[in-house]
Amino acid sequence: MDGFTATIWIVRLLFLALLYLFLFGIARALLRDLSAASREPTTELGRLVVLASPAGEPAPGSTLALDAITTLGRDVNNAIVVDDQFASAQHAVLTFRGRTWYVEDLNSTNGTFVNAQPVDGVVPIGYGDEIQLGQVRFRLERPRR
Amino acid sequence: MRASAQPLPRILGQIKPRPRWREARLLAIVAAAILAGSVSLELARHSDETAATAGFSPAEPFHLAVYLGVLVAAHLAQVLTGRRTDQVLLPAVGLLGGISLLLMERLPQDLVVQRFFGAELGLADVQLVWLVLSISIATTLAIVVRSDRWLRLYKYTWAAAGVALLLLTFVLGTEINGQRLTLSFGPISGQPSELLKVILVVFLAGYLSENRSLLVEESTQIGPIAIPPLPYLAPMVAMWAIALGIVVVQRDLGAALLFFAVFLLLLYTATARPGYVVLGVLLFLAGAFVMYQLVSHVQTRVDIWIDPWKDPAVTGYQVIQALYAFARGGLVGSGLGGGIPTTIPAVETDFPFAALGEELGLVGIMAILGLYLVVIERGLRIGAAAGDDFRSLLATGLALVVGVQAFIIAAGNLKLIPLTGITLPFISYGGSSMLVNGIVVGLLLALSDKGVEPPPAPKPPGRLARLTRRGA
Repeated sequence: MDGFTATIWIVRLLFLALLYLFLFGIARALLRDLSAASREPTTELGRLVVLASPAGEPAPGSTLALDAITTLGRDVNNAIVVDDQFASAQHAVLTFRGRTWYVEDLNSTNGTFVNAQPVDGVVPIGYGDEIQLGQVRFRLERPRR
Repeated sequence: MRASAQPLPRILGQIKPRPRWREARLLAIVAAAILAGSVSLELARHSDETAATAGFSPAEPFHLAVYLGVLVAAHLAQVLTGRRTDQVLLPAVGLLGGISLLLMERLPQDLVVQRFFGAELGLADVQLVWLVLSISIATTLAIVVRSDRWLRLYKYTWAAAGVALLLLTFVLGTEINGQRLTLSFGPISGQPSELLKVILVVFLAGYLSENRSLLVEESTQIGPIAIPPLPYLAPMVAMWAIALGIVVVQRDLGAALLFFAVFLLLLYTATARPGYVVLGVLLFLAGAFVMYQLVSHVQTRVDIWIDPWKDPAVTGYQVIQALYAFARGGLVGSGLGGGIPTTIPAVETDFPFAALGEELGLVGIMAILGLYLVVIERGLRIGAAAGDDFRSLLATGLALVVGVQAFIIAAGNLKLIPLTGITLPFISYGGSSMLVNGIVVGLLLALSDKGVEPPPAPKPPGRLARLTRRGA
């Protein structure tokens, strides 16, 4: 093998090596992302963003983390207290079953609405849907990662 | 009751430059790799000369400078406007494009000759123009798109436009190589099925995100087995019919396969119900069987796939030459410029994967498949982090379109599945393909931006959904 052939093969193998160096760089970036994501615990299943709340409780614009079973109502024993004159003491409950959120109206006086449709029984809801209790409106959002 | 007080859309605010070190680092490796490839190509051109008279210089330094300049400009544009978009996608696509440029420089330049204002452009020149346009489109979309309303609200308009485009190609399309794919208006010609794949993903993301809960919840009982709700299978059947129509009228097996596969994958992503996939695959098998019986074009392709050596000089020639090319390549290939890829007809559009397999070997094409994997991974990650179902499905769908297309044509080149004439994304020669893939990357980048407008408040469910929602 003469010098020229050796040179050209070194450059060719360098090209292939650089392709793998690039993939290696990306793999390292991915691993760093993953370890960063695993360090912060994400037990959060979803979030409620308060879109409108005339009485100020919950505060409009605030974000509420959700447990697998989250009760909403005017009573102070609810996970999310909704201080609104049209809300019932035990108004509604949000449950996370498997991979989907469900909302159930607890026979409230004025009803619960999903995207302006009255809730009857248990109704599945998706991220981005709007939930209304009395005059208070929430939007269900994905957990923050 | 319509949402009246949406959260205020984020005001653009002053533009604040924001460094993107990860992208810069990866782009440096990309530049080094393309430079090394280019030098090896130039050395190979001098291999017939005696020993080391050839110095180290890149092949076509002008092309190289323009291409790397555009990548750096795309990077700087996003740095200066302070966009927080994905930092891995641009380098990955940039490297695929660079490999494409090297391959086009390596192939004989007279495979494609186009004249623009008296200047004669060869294969690599034209491909460079498309690459530059494609990366410009991607960067522009990444910077300009701050809201997805124009996609979200007009999904049926987009779908109608897509169907119109398809019908127009059915009627007015020009037939090339037995496939009616190209639509030309005067000097401009393009392949609408490339654009159609993006429109399809936009429509499916809109439709599925709106009807997701219905598709997940409802089911029809037939005897002991629960199958997905029959009324909602109508879109699946319609999609299946459209795919078959594409096969019969356009004879475009690749696009039909791509559309149906992406449709099933998105349906599964949205619902997580394997039943849909099983049904879809059964429909596919039935359709494939009928098509094989009825359409001679399909029959030819499948027969070549089963045994290309039955007619090695005519119908099987292309596939056999591709297999030989892979065999010649071996583990590390013959090096850029060291092989004889021109023995494969239509190597620049349909068989770039075989040409790369010959010149870069198994090691090289594994790296290229790895790059496609990176693109898919980024898309799925963007989808997983997206704010709502529409964005999630859109990002997933866009990534899957690229991934599935790369799989279909790479597997076709390797005789793993029957060969279908679609392009290898970011690598094949071709304007339509390059531009549309630029749009795909641009949309993915825009969707990955952490500073974009939040998703709009949901609309009340559609009339069909209201009528059928249980107990409402």
